[in-house]
Amino acid sequence: MMTYVSCFFLGGFILSMIAVACNPSPFYGSFGLVAVAGFGCAVVVGSGGTFLALILVMIYVGAMLVVFVYSAALAADRYPESWGSGGVAGQAVGYLLGVMVASGFFWKEEYGVLWGFGGSVEELAPQRGDIGGVSWMYSLGGPLLVISAGALLLTLFVVFEVTRLLHRGAFR
Amino acid sequence: MTPPHFAFSATFILALTGLVFHRTHLLSALLCLEGMMLSLFVALSLWALQLDITSFLASPLLLLAFSACEASTGLALLAATARTHGSDRLQSLNLLQC
Amino acid sequence: MNPYVLATLLFSLGLGTTLTFASSHWLLAWMGLEINTLAIIPLMAQHNHPRAIEATTKYFLTQATAAAMLLFASLTNAWLTGQWDIQLMSHPLPTTLASLALALKIGLAPLHTWLPEVLQGLDLPTGLILSTWQKLAPLTLLLQLQPMNSSLLIILGLTSTLIGGWGGLNQTQLRKILAYSSTAHLGWMVLVLQFAPSLTFLTLIIYLTMTFSTFLTFNLNNSTTINTLATSWAKAPVISSLAPLMLLSLGGLPPLTGFMPKWLILQELTKQDLAPAATLAALSALLSLYFYLRLSYAMALTMAPNNLTGTLPWRLLPSQHSLPLAISMTASLSLLPLTPALTALFTL
Repeated sequence: MMTYVSCFFLGGFILSMIAVACNPSPFYGSFGLVAVAGFGCAVVVGSGGTFLALILVMIYVGAMLVVFVYSAALAADRYPESWGSGGVAGQAVGYLLGVMVASGFFWKEEYGVLWGFGGSVEELAPQRGDIGGVSWMYSLGGPLLVISAGALLLTLFVVFEVTRLLHRGAFR
Repeated sequence: MTPPHFAFSATFILALTGLVFHRTHLLSALLCLEGMMLSLFVALSLWALQLDITSFLASPLLLLAFSACEASTGLALLAATARTHGSDRLQSLNLLQC
Repeated sequence: MNPYVLATLLFSLGLGTTLTFASSHWLLAWMGLEINTLAIIPLMAQHNHPRAIEATTKYFLTQATAAAMLLFASLTNAWLTGQWDIQLMSHPLPTTLASLALALKIGLAPLHTWLPEVLQGLDLPTGLILSTWQKLAPLTLLLQLQPMNSSLLIILGLTSTLIGGWGGLNQTQLRKILAYSSTAHLGWMVLVLQFAPSLTFLTLIIYLTMTFSTFLTFNLNNSTTINTLATSWAKAPVISSLAPLMLLSLGGLPPLTGFMPKWLILQELTKQDLAPAATLAALSALLSLYFYLRLSYAMALTMAPNNLTGTLPWRLLPSQHSLPLAISMTASLSLLPLTPALTALFTL
């Protein structure tokens, strides 16, 4: 049972990435990325990382993808191309064929049982692995935390500097 | 190559080819970039979860922080490009070609 | 730009490269590269000109792709061998992927096409940062990938020297010429990387010196095309007599410094039974030499009695400090007699 479920999640992960990669209009592309994030969450949950999956949902679907969908307004097409229209469907079929050929190349029979993930999947354990890892980041991994916080602060400066004073150059 | 390994490699390479080959909009390119980072996130967390390395399980969060940095910088550049070039089509970025 | 913001950005630029230097773990090295890319972006876009914004966008896309590819390579390595250390990468597939990603990051030849366009959109000081400081972190990573697929690096190096010479032939824009010359020099470095890493380091240092003085000279003359070079004698006569020598040193002619790395690299390649590759590299250096010669012709031989190709500039006092230019110019012209000392210094 678990094998089929994880097989479904991994397949959905690949298929929704095909939906992003086959160059639809940005509206549909960001929808595809939401699907990728959802399936990725399911994959991570399936191997026991519930906290990481929660973070992924909160950051991706909750914050970043909203911004992406919002800025899709900048890229509005008059005639948006979804996955049904010609070029996009052709690319999607091409990518799908490529993935199938590659999976046929890498397929081995003994991996049929390995679709299920390893890791500790005792359901209601109070001390799960990923929560321990995150608490490790706050205790011993302090320098890494400082570095990434510094990078986020730097990004604030970067974004302000890039979008500031655009009246100075060619001005629209 | 186990199935999770194949899955994240396939998604990463799909997003990479989607980014490299024909893109109409800059925003679609940024979406592909985010897809790459997302597959890297899944790969990193699956690796640490399968081998049960507790001290490594914080690194997906760091990866996510950095990909948020990249995404916001890309969106700022998207806004700047839309202002200076009038649209975000990648074909209009042709001022510097040889 | 606000000086505090500028200080923050420059500090993070240094911090990112230092982080990559200091790390032995792929994740930290990747973080350093990302911080580096993020920090230079507002510097590139500081004039808000459409060309600057476009160059910044192209730079951001390529660098982010290359960084993601690098992390993908190290993750594949971790899945295959369970190893995160940079120097212990043993599996051939992730090693090849990582070296291709680093080649995209520094602009080696089949993956170099972003470099001339990006450099063309920037002003000269930022272009100087881009073509010197930004190469350091990826090159250190490339140096640490020791046991590597040898033919890949040789092919990358040979195509870089060839395309770096060929692409610059038809250019009239100085920044594009400098970008192609950067590709060619990096090709020389990569060519000898696996046989003598200390030679790569020496070549890198000499390339940095020569590029520094070239960019500073062009910045002093305020020139971005060949035509404006032709009237640079009116501005700074001494520099207009030294700059052709410096360009020939970039091209690698014997009594000048630029000859030293090419000489040592050719000798090393011949020692490794790679005489065809050495011949091809030496012949493709002739292509680069052609456009350096054209630049020095425009700079030194189209002088007063001839017809002017451009309008004369005002002779204002230069606002740039002359000491860095003087030091780097001297170093890039006359270090050849010090070859034994330098090789001893850089042999680790």
